[in-house]
Amino acid sequence: MPNLAEQISEALSMFVRNDTEPALIGGLAVVAHQVVRATQDVDFLLEAEAADRVHDALLDLGYQCLYRSEDAANYVRAAEGLDLLYAHRPLARRLLAQASERETPMGRMRIISVEGLIGFKLQGFVNDATRTRDLDDIRALLKVHRTSLNMDELNEYFALFDKPELLNELLDELPS
Amino acid sequence: MNSSMNFPASIDTSAGTTSNSGDAGAVLAREAGVPFQPQSGTMSGVDPFAQWLSLMEVVQMLCPVWPVRDRPMQGEHWQL
Repeated sequence: MPNLAEQISEALSMFVRNDTEPALIGGLAVVAHQVVRATQDVDFLLEAEAADRVHDALLDLGYQCLYRSEDAANYVRAAEGLDLLYAHRPLARRLLAQASERETPMGRMRIISVEGLIGFKLQGFVNDATRTRDLDDIRALLKVHRTSLNMDELNEYFALFDKPELLNELLDELPS
Repeated sequence: MNSSMNFPASIDTSAGTTSNSGDAGAVLAREAGVPFQPQSGTMSGVDPFAQWLSLMEVVQMLCPVWPVRDRPMQGEHWQL
């Protein structure tokens, strides 16, 4: 069985060696934002300029690249997966720059804001509507953080994906 | 829960945030504008990563092999 903590620690060390500071996104970032659920998804938002050297470093660590585009890449090593989203548009660059740093059991890492995470979860859902896990994560994050969320920022993301009504529906679902 | 996962010696599963003091003086200092890092733990005060590691320990015992993500993250709507 792969050791997730060791895998993440190894990835964090690799990022440091390659002089880049990605931000945690995906299911583990959902955990970081107080929605603790089972997940083995190791996803990072990486500055696009570091894509090539991180690609080489992951291959050196024994990962195999399953897919890579200008927006995302998927790597696998036996039963371990690691996915990257590349920040090359202004919004993603802003979210990467604003990611907060936190000490974790796996090491110091940067974590995307809860609003940004909801934005990326929305992007995942819009790209693949069968990924209902993303929608469930958005629901859970809205529930936990409803009183502190930057609603202007959330409205911006839902409008970006032409889903402004979806945010209202999700908010209406929350218990009063 | 007794942690029996094979964490490296450097991994402290009880690690939390860098500043969490909660006395009244600290609250006043924070309100006065002293930089601080917001508490990042759950409402129970336990670091969510530590909770996740404990959860995954049980999950891995029940389901030793998880499928790797079966398809790449593809799509036509990359706006972020």
